[in-house]
Amino acid sequence: MANKHVNAIVVGSGAGGGVVAKELSYAGLSVVLFERGGWAKYDDHGDDELTAQRSFPLACFFGPDNERYRRVAVDRQGNKRIVYPNDWAYHNIAACVGSGTVSYGAMAWRFMEEDFTMKSTYGDVEGSTLEDWPITYADLEPYYEKAEWEIGVAGDDYQNPFAPWRNKPHPMPPFPHNREGKLLEEAAKKVGYHPFSIPMLRNSKEFDGRSACIHVLNCVGFACPVDAKNGTQNTVIPKAIETGNCELRIHSQVVKVLTDKSGRATGVEYFDKNDNKHVQTADIVILAASATETPRLLLNSATNLFPNGIGNRHDWVGRNLQGHAYCGADGLFEDETFDGTGPGASVAVCDFAHNNPGIKGGAMLANDFIKLPYAYTGTRPPGAARWGREHKDFQKNYFKRNASIRGPVQEMPNFESRVEVDPDVVDHWGMPVAKISGFKLDEDIRTAEFIADKAEKWLEAAGAYNIWKSIPGTGVSGGQHQAGTCRMGNDPQTSVTDKYGRIHDVDNLFIADGSLHVTNGSFNPVLTIMALGYWVSDYIVKEWKGGNRFR
Amino acid sequence: MDKNFKDAINRRKFLKISALWTGGACIITIPGFTATPYRTLGRSEAEIMDALADAIIPPGEYAGGKDAWVTRFIDQQISSNGYLQHDHDLYKTCLPAMNNDSRGEFGTIFTELDENYQTEYLQAIEAGHYNSGAATRGWGNFTPSAFFNTMRNHCMMGYYGSPIHGGNRDYVSFRMISLF
Repeated sequence: MANKHVNAIVVGSGAGGGVVAKELSYAGLSVVLFERGGWAKYDDHGDDELTAQRSFPLACFFGPDNERYRRVAVDRQGNKRIVYPNDWAYHNIAACVGSGTVSYGAMAWRFMEEDFTMKSTYGDVEGSTLEDWPITYADLEPYYEKAEWEIGVAGDDYQNPFAPWRNKPHPMPPFPHNREGKLLEEAAKKVGYHPFSIPMLRNSKEFDGRSACIHVLNCVGFACPVDAKNGTQNTVIPKAIETGNCELRIHSQVVKVLTDKSGRATGVEYFDKNDNKHVQTADIVILAASATETPRLLLNSATNLFPNGIGNRHDWVGRNLQGHAYCGADGLFEDETFDGTGPGASVAVCDFAHNNPGIKGGAMLANDFIKLPYAYTGTRPPGAARWGREHKDFQKNYFKRNASIRGPVQEMPNFESRVEVDPDVVDHWGMPVAKISGFKLDEDIRTAEFIADKAEKWLEAAGAYNIWKSIPGTGVSGGQHQAGTCRMGNDPQTSVTDKYGRIHDVDNLFIADGSLHVTNGSFNPVLTIMALGYWVSDYIVKEWKGGNRFR
Repeated sequence: MDKNFKDAINRRKFLKISALWTGGACIITIPGFTATPYRTLGRSEAEIMDALADAIIPPGEYAGGKDAWVTRFIDQQISSNGYLQHDHDLYKTCLPAMNNDSRGEFGTIFTELDENYQTEYLQAIEAGHYNSGAATRGWGNFTPSAFFNTMRNHCMMGYYGSPIHGGNRDYVSFRMISLF
């Protein structure tokens, strides 16, 4: 039986898509929200580190699965390799209702004003497509606020002298620090940094009918056992469904955006859980499938009118793939830093996010989440034994006597870091898979070295007696912070969408995920993706209420 | 995804049941026939893997890799419904090759070497000193140093990961780091 025509299709139920589904259904539009996975619950997964979304050495419990999904990774020499979702080179994003917002660490950063004006702040960078966003922090500020209050953030920006201005405080008080956090807070002050409690999409008190955080160790990479971590799956998506206007269609893999002879979007083609092919039509289509899968969908939807893929007239779809050039330092301590209070990652400084002499951009710095036992086997100083007695003694002696400081260095986007589709390799449904290639610029490594020095200095002040820095390699970035592959802009020749996330060529086709990011900030990007979900929705709803039916 | 969830749950139930069944006993003896509790590894392969697991994570105050059931973890994961089934052939080929390849340098097979010589031998494999001409010494298309890296990583998973996957017997690694 044919599906009933609806007003809007949203592809992907993560940070961006979940928000859009709620906003449009509240405005009275009929919505189908597509999700390729199902519901991911703590009770089904528990505390299994080996399949958690943090390091997934065995498999990704939160999806995607290794049976039906694959990609092609291309190294710097041009060698192609087929990779599966639990390989780092796959750059996976969770495939479940809420996507990464179920299992994330939940840092709730607003980008700073400079993060939207990188080109005018820092000028040209050799080899980079660095550009300003077509919108400013002031444009997005009300939508950050909406994300913070509707989804739920605990924090206090007034502790952070570098925080961008805001109209309203966070809805929940900030989290206190555990033993390691307190130690590092004091140490930061000692070296003149300005530490504060990281804003978190996690409940520091009961919020919106859900409980307060109980501080388990297994937080990042896991679903929360008491539902105290806020994602789209337990906030905006249930609210959208409650309106009666939104149908969440799970286990449904969208493979193509359909367009008519005039080049307008008419709907999507998808496969249900039994691999039966269907069509869903709509007045508006919004893609929020991640910075890898959104461009792949556009490229796989080529027609006579769009021979290189939808929105790709000027070859910008899939370009400028970026994540963060993570760097930092690890240190060992005489006394225990561990007090059993999870999840760690509570203290940060923004002293080095911008305004670093001779450096373009920078990063916030924060202590890392507590590493779990398997992950900790990969944390060793250079030259230390990776196995044998020395390995075992190290694990025993230092699991509770360590700290890590990490910073997501903002990358300078480059045109050659990209997502393409590979016609020679297809997925379970016969669609060409994403092919990922590219590299980081020298500038990113230089910034990472600068930031890692600041992390080292912080750990020294905390009394660590063995400190080693980590500098990222030059391989293409992406991962769970993937962004930039369908950048927004005012010039259709150098961007994929307009400033409202609308594909330049197609009036009723929008994007609402990290693909839109022109640059990816000095911070974890999820709150910005949520804010963009509200921003894009607000434009669509205003048009709709003004009588535009996008037909 | 749904299928995977179910598999994961069924697998977990099965493991719980099988753990009850096998308890601590490792070998079931029937007159005239000796079987191991393993799904994929034969007796001699399991013995080599046990020796490797103990070399990677040696016994001491807390159990080594062998007694922590690292071999059981690897056996289950490389079996036809395990998460690491793609590494089945790697183990089947490389375990015996690794055991035999010490003869030239050390005069005997790996499992019969003293601990210090085992460590020295494995360090040489890890450093790639046995990679050249490995195919002619039974390693097939596999590279000795690459096998070592994979095997080492799997030992870490089996020792430090959740017991639901077959290793970390009695949560020994969690007790070692005083997690509980």
